[in-house]
Amino acid sequence: MSNFSVGFLKDDGVQVLTLHGELDAHTASELEAALQKCLSDQDYNVVVDGEKLQYISSAGLGVFMAYIEEIREHGGDLKICGLQPKVYNVFDLLGFPMLFDIVETQAEAIAKFAANPTEG
Amino acid sequence: MPEPNQSSSDGFAATLLRSRVRVVVAVVVFCVTFLIGLGGHLLAWYLNTASGPTATFLFQVNMLICYGTLWLLLARRVRSRHAPPARVFWNTMFAGALFVGLGYLVARFGRPPNLDMLPPGIDVLGFDHDTGVPLAWATVVKMNLLSLLAAAFVFVLLLRFRDLVLVKRTRSSQRNWYLMLGLMVVAALFEFMKPATVGTFTLWQQLALIPPVVFMVVNALRLSWIVFLSFKEKMLSIGLCFVLLVLLFGMGIDDDISLLGYDVMPGVYAYLRHYSYPLATFVALGVFFGILYCTTALLSLLFHLPTTGDFQQKAGEVAAMHSLTHLVNQVLDPKKLFASVAATPVEAGSAQAAWLAVADADTGTLRPQIVATHGITLTRVNELVDVNALYQEALTTPDFLLLDQAPADHRISARPGDGLGSLLVMPLNVRNETLGALFVAKEVTHGFEQDDIAAISVFAAQAVLALDNARLLEERIERERLAREMSIAREVQQKLLPQSLPAPEGLSIAAASVSALEVGGDYYDFIELEDDRLGFIVADVSGKGTSAAFYMAEMQGIFHSVSRLAPSPVDFLAHANQALAGSLDKNVFISGIYGTIDLKREELTLARAGHCPAARISLAGEATLLSSKGMGLGLDRGSGVLFRRTICEECHTLRPGDVFVLYTDGVVESRSPAGEEYGYDRLLKALQNHRHEDADDLHQSLLADLHAFMGNKEYDDDMTLVVLKWHGVALPHTAQTEQASAENGQPALAEVEVLQPE
Repeated sequence: MSNFSVGFLKDDGVQVLTLHGELDAHTASELEAALQKCLSDQDYNVVVDGEKLQYISSAGLGVFMAYIEEIREHGGDLKICGLQPKVYNVFDLLGFPMLFDIVETQAEAIAKFAANPTEG
Repeated sequence: MPEPNQSSSDGFAATLLRSRVRVVVAVVVFCVTFLIGLGGHLLAWYLNTASGPTATFLFQVNMLICYGTLWLLLARRVRSRHAPPARVFWNTMFAGALFVGLGYLVARFGRPPNLDMLPPGIDVLGFDHDTGVPLAWATVVKMNLLSLLAAAFVFVLLLRFRDLVLVKRTRSSQRNWYLMLGLMVVAALFEFMKPATVGTFTLWQQLALIPPVVFMVVNALRLSWIVFLSFKEKMLSIGLCFVLLVLLFGMGIDDDISLLGYDVMPGVYAYLRHYSYPLATFVALGVFFGILYCTTALLSLLFHLPTTGDFQQKAGEVAAMHSLTHLVNQVLDPKKLFASVAATPVEAGSAQAAWLAVADADTGTLRPQIVATHGITLTRVNELVDVNALYQEALTTPDFLLLDQAPADHRISARPGDGLGSLLVMPLNVRNETLGALFVAKEVTHGFEQDDIAAISVFAAQAVLALDNARLLEERIERERLAREMSIAREVQQKLLPQSLPAPEGLSIAAASVSALEVGGDYYDFIELEDDRLGFIVADVSGKGTSAAFYMAEMQGIFHSVSRLAPSPVDFLAHANQALAGSLDKNVFISGIYGTIDLKREELTLARAGHCPAARISLAGEATLLSSKGMGLGLDRGSGVLFRRTICEECHTLRPGDVFVLYTDGVVESRSPAGEEYGYDRLLKALQNHRHEDADDLHQSLLADLHAFMGNKEYDDDMTLVVLKWHGVALPHTAQTEQASAENGQPALAEVEVLQPE
């Protein structure tokens, strides 16, 4: 039933979560679990790759809000990359670009971590 | 002697002798034929000559009719009543004792005392040795009486035993019984005209005896009534059966064969043969069957005596199980159910004490709680047994936990004599879940045999069903209660939305909201502010369902309190953001558009806080999305500086025909069956097409267009649509309020349109 999945990938000390499918109220718990895993693994440099993300609902956006604070408290960050225009539009409407670092590509996001290591 | 077809059934006898008149006729026939027989014999004695073949034939036919009628009369009297076996034996024995006792008296009457010392050749019976003619009138009377008594006894015996043989009858057993009777009659009639003076059986006669005897053996093995008797009834039956057997042996099956070394009715068969040869054969066969059946019954009763207790216990188990099965459907009261489950093993005789422990679902722990005891008190159980430890171990066993020597177990503090010799713990499992455990105790050690355990396993399985049923019922009641609560919540939430829409001059408004679930997170509202201004809001709480509904209520409170104080939309939203930042859950935010319409200055000012941009269509059809900057409420939880810095407001001068449409993401994100989103372009296109309609019609047209796009399936998100249309001039008073009914099972959506008055 669920048409959403999260892929884990570790690249240069950065935890990359690749999202596939549709992130809505039903599937939000899967992303929650994935981010929770990052926290418990003490991976505070997280990139969420949304290239394969088809749709995001407000409940899905809420997941990012729920974890960003804790990640930043630990000196890390959550960067979002590769969003399709339609999905980006949803982020943009809500003003997420003002709160999150949203970049074009995954490499760019990882490079940003490397250039400005926030981990303390 | 009964005719073959007359022997068939008491049904036949009852049919034949249905009316009183027929009974009287039968009695008369019997009396007359009996007297004719008596008269015939007296005549033979008087004339002192044997009768000729024709007379003998007629005489035998007369006897046949006589005893056939007697059988019918007795069959009518001895109806099948499904009497208890002991009673059948008692009745047969009583009739036997009566008839044989009378026969005994009659046989002894006028008998020489020193019978054995008589020289041979002298027939003490009183018949001429060669012709068979009675020598004295007393002989005739004795012969007639003895024959009648013996025949009546055998008839009663056969009629009574039919009830026993045909317990649990089948077609074949019934057929065997009537075949036996029929073959007995056939064998008896085989030597229809044989004179009594010829003592030996012919070969044919002997061959004719074989079939009835075979069927007698078959019928004598039909003893299924025995297993249902209690111990006491079996003992009683054994006693009665024994007495009856003695009586039958006393009668014997021939004068020469003295089975017990004594004759109750000496010479009865000789008299019978002189009286009627077929009757004599039939009586002998009847007595033989009686002896056969009583013997097999006696032996079977004896062999079944030791197993009576076990059989009784099995029967008890079956009955107990039956009552438990009923329980599954009946019990609404868990306490009663628990008590029944604990009582069942004890009442079924499988144990002396039992108690039921169930996992306490309320506290969420696995520690069991004893909810019912039987044959032992709760305090006693707690004193003697560490129920929790045993329960935990029972959970790990695949089937059950058996302590053959309970007092030796460290979890049991009972000493021998405390009535806790062996203990069986049967977990109550259903669908990979343990509801509890049934503890069953016996006084003796090693008390549980394989079949006890099997029986208790079945109880346990039944109990699980009953307990599970009770639990499901409880859950259903709870679910219904929740559904009621939700419907109340829905009503309350509907009241948070405007009940009537304001109707300022020059403006018409249509608005509606529908929730995907019972309650939702969408909100729209209007407020009349001072200086002829009208405030409006459309907001959408992230997520849906109950939590969204609570935040929607909070948003409503903020709207009604802050909107009067805030001079501009940006001020309002900044205040709202601050108010919500403290109370929203961290993964929840609210998007919204707040605006005001200045009716005097004909201006609309609005600000967007992360919400879907409002759409504007001019009279000329120029459609635009008003996507001014601004982030969602509750995203900036800090000082609110970021929020205030990013949000902008825009001001539009109103021209007649201008339409503003506000909506939540449920509208643009609605999908067609193919999975395509409705989107902004379709919305704008539909707006352009319908822009000349007034607010209410436009609202309906937009919903219809959306619904057609979705393929008439149900909404899967909360959805709100508000239409504001500026006319600029006062319209005639056509205020109307209507409640749109549900379409395709959708919850009714309140749809209100108010045109401005005067």
